[in-house]
Amino acid sequence: MFKRILIANRGEIAMRILRCCREMGIETVLIYSSEDKDSLPVQFSTYSVCIGPAPAQQSYLNEDAILTAAKEYNCDAIHPGYGFLSENAYFARKCEKEGIEFIGPSAKMIHFMGNKDAARTLMKKHGVPVVPGSDGILNNLDEAKKVAAEVGYPVLIKASAGGGGRGMRVAHDESEIEDAYESAGAEALSAFGDGSLYLEKLILNPHHIEVQILGDKKGNIIHLLERDCSMQRRHQKILEECPASILTDRQREALYRAALKAAKAVHYYSAGTLEFVLDKTGKFYFIEMNTRIQVEHPVTEMVTGVDLIREQIRVAAGMPLSIKQSDIKINGHAIECRINAEDPERGFAPCPGDVTFLHFPNGNGVRIESALYPNSRISPYYDSMVAKVIVYARGRLEAIRKMRVALEEFTIKGIKTNLNFQYLIMYNEDFVMGNYDTGFLEKNTEAILRWNRESEKY
Amino acid sequence: MDSVVVENKTEFSEKRQTLVSYRNYRNKRTERKVVGERIDEVFDKGSFEEIEPLMETKNPLAFDGYEEKVRENQNVTGAKDSVKCGVGTIDGIEAVGAELSKNFLMGSMGSVEGEKLTLAFEEGDKRKCPVIIFSASGGARMQEGMFSLMQMAKTSAACKRFKDNGGLYISVLTHPTTGGVSASYANLGDIILAEPKALIGFAGPRVIEQTIGEKLPEGFQRAEFQLEHGFVDRIVKRENLKSEISNLLRLNGFGTKLSAEENTENSADHLAETEFKKAKSIGAVAESETEKTSAGTISEVKIEDSESSDKPLEPYDRLMIARDKDRPKIKDFVDALFSDFTELHGDRLGKDDQAILGGLAYFHDIPVTVIGHRKGRNIKENMAVNFGMPEPEGYRKALRLMKEAEKFHRPVITFIDTPGAYPGKDAEENGQSTAIAENLAEMSTLKTPVLVIVTGEGNSGGALALSVGDQIWMLENSVYSVLSPEGFASILWKDAKKNKEACKVMKMTAKDLLDGGMIDRVIPEPEGGIQKNFDGFIKMLDGQMIEEIQELIKIPTDELIAKRYEKYRNI
Repeated sequence: MFKRILIANRGEIAMRILRCCREMGIETVLIYSSEDKDSLPVQFSTYSVCIGPAPAQQSYLNEDAILTAAKEYNCDAIHPGYGFLSENAYFARKCEKEGIEFIGPSAKMIHFMGNKDAARTLMKKHGVPVVPGSDGILNNLDEAKKVAAEVGYPVLIKASAGGGGRGMRVAHDESEIEDAYESAGAEALSAFGDGSLYLEKLILNPHHIEVQILGDKKGNIIHLLERDCSMQRRHQKILEECPASILTDRQREALYRAALKAAKAVHYYSAGTLEFVLDKTGKFYFIEMNTRIQVEHPVTEMVTGVDLIREQIRVAAGMPLSIKQSDIKINGHAIECRINAEDPERGFAPCPGDVTFLHFPNGNGVRIESALYPNSRISPYYDSMVAKVIVYARGRLEAIRKMRVALEEFTIKGIKTNLNFQYLIMYNEDFVMGNYDTGFLEKNTEAILRWNRESEKY
Repeated sequence: MDSVVVENKTEFSEKRQTLVSYRNYRNKRTERKVVGERIDEVFDKGSFEEIEPLMETKNPLAFDGYEEKVRENQNVTGAKDSVKCGVGTIDGIEAVGAELSKNFLMGSMGSVEGEKLTLAFEEGDKRKCPVIIFSASGGARMQEGMFSLMQMAKTSAACKRFKDNGGLYISVLTHPTTGGVSASYANLGDIILAEPKALIGFAGPRVIEQTIGEKLPEGFQRAEFQLEHGFVDRIVKRENLKSEISNLLRLNGFGTKLSAEENTENSADHLAETEFKKAKSIGAVAESETEKTSAGTISEVKIEDSESSDKPLEPYDRLMIARDKDRPKIKDFVDALFSDFTELHGDRLGKDDQAILGGLAYFHDIPVTVIGHRKGRNIKENMAVNFGMPEPEGYRKALRLMKEAEKFHRPVITFIDTPGAYPGKDAEENGQSTAIAENLAEMSTLKTPVLVIVTGEGNSGGALALSVGDQIWMLENSVYSVLSPEGFASILWKDAKKNKEACKVMKMTAKDLLDGGMIDRVIPEPEGGIQKNFDGFIKMLDGQMIEEIQELIKIPTDELIAKRYEKYRNI
């Protein structure tokens, strides 16, 4: 087992990894930017090393500095968390070369799955349904037009190297495809340095369902149920649930089977997530695979009782999974709300600042993942997510009630957050009924905000 | 939690306030609201059967967000739209009822609402039963555009057809009734009731204020304001709606008169009160009976007395008796002769003239319309009723009520006691002459019996405008003339003080007029006038009246009008 792990991340996930390492008796080395010198993980890590100034490019994305620190402090492994370097195949390879274990799948696997087109092809080969679209990269506009006509409009043109909604364009009919093709290409080139595009049928307002998988280097691979991440605002998830109440048992089994088949085919190890969309008719299609721990992993942990970070570390250290597939059962329901420092009234613009007062909810079945503390500062340089509230209960409605109570108790002053917005979602009739898809917030945001404003008069 | 006030301010106070706000707002939003509350209150329990309860809007303009809004309201109310309409009974009387409720999209009238209201009128027509509609509305439903505006025309047309076919339509205006609803079927009722303080108007107060740039006075456009301006018949508290409507239905010939016990049980206070007074007056008669021999002969004896007395009364003396402040006023006659008197207000054109009292009542078991001049006993009372001098609006109110009486075949009984039509500036501006002329003409062909009783002084056109009828009676001491003696004297002799002489030459006493063939009967009075023994006298009058009314209602309408024409043709 590792003796010392470098944590190449910040905020709540750094705390999450740090806590896990402490539990496992592993020392931690936390790298941080000068901006984060007062942050919570810096206080609690065995060692903390400032490796650069605030901009992520010069600190949390500064591969060489991180590797230097890892060698300097004799770290056995690096945990990249999510974001930053977590899906960077080159960095993973550098680690391998330096003899430092990258906690995650192999560089090759990251690279392979990071190429959406290759991933699609692989899935197709193993009989996993994919969204109908181009076979690989589009060579030119004419090909795009031809494929679009085959799969039927509307279509989505996506950057092969893209993510987070960038390099993505919709064409509703043939007249829009040229524009979409060109602007997506240009954006992809400037954002990812790679202008290659592929095309797929646009499935309007699907459900976003993902399957958590976990594998070890000995070839064991299991799934850890699915998550419903349909509550998205502009492709950004804000609320996740485990399990997905929309699925029937038959769909669920089919989904697991497909996910495991694909993962086994590539001898995947560590934690990973296969993302699917579920259309109105109940058909699901593979869209992409994430080769990292995800923000929403706690909901899976709550329902399965498995510590995913711990398993990641164990697998990286060459140990077998500590659980078997038969240990994984749907046992209760978990919901996670992401609390962001943003102002819903101003288009959810990030609102960094000083937290003047803070109280976290507590209690049975309530879990908080956060690096906030009273008087802590929220930096404008990084992601605006400041806390995750996770609740766990026997059933979904019970979990919703628990979440309401938790959000009622959650008090934070000094910065604007989406806390009340999340709270009002908990009272939305459609949400309560489990009747929502990725189009939910587009349709309901205004009504929720209006509710908030109207309430002020009472 | 809502009621708990946290006094000490902590870091949590703000959060707490937010949560309380959410909860209060949520409670308000999810509060169960009902469409058709008043129908439930007014119609007999379990009697109401809805018509087309499942009709739903089709969003004719494909208006964005409209369907969600409708669905939201449907969830809260359990109704499909803002109208509940159907058939039921009120104290056993079958009636069609509809309610436009503000609990559903502010009671705005869209195509479904218009359709249901139209169906209500049509159903009323089919069943030949009254239609009662309770309205509360912001007006036309904007989300349905012109479709909604056209409902005004549609419902008004259906209403007109129903009324023309002889239907009784009672419209109840509740808070608020504005816009396209107030400007269509809601203000077309044969009888229009309003709840106290209800906002009733076309343009909302905010719109008016913004347009004219002035602050509106308190109470503007409220039910009381509308009553004063003659657009509402009665203001009725919500809890009295049932008894009031039930009473009005009976007075309009639906169902039968309630017996005294039923009446006190079921009716509002004022009805009970009338009964009480009646009981009292009967008691008084009984007392006087014990003193004398029998009520029927008292007056006769008295008449002999008066006729055999040495000094016959001079016309001027009779004028003085007629003008005596203690001489019974119309309200005394109404209370003594009728039961369940229900006053109706307003000319529907701009005013409710206090100098004219009009309403519905039972005369024995016959529903009648009672109209007459109202005089006061002292200066204050007289100021309020303009000394019994009607303005054109008063005559128009009287005519409106007589037309209603004609429609529902109620005999009309008028009581005349006025110094004359009001000689004022406003009165002239508003067409005093025309109003009087209209009444004279219309009354001559009114298709229902008209009994006129001159109780005090009847002067000039102001009196005549209520006294064209089949039978004209005068109390022995009342006077009826072309003009007040003072006016007569000042015109002919340029001296109003010569009124006493005028009285002599004017031939204005009951006897003079009977001799002249101008009136049909003189009702003898006790010595010193009816004010001396009203209770005894009224019993005799009552007897003569019921006999006459029963005769009159037997005469076929055509014959009645022909006779009436002959009567005036021969003068």
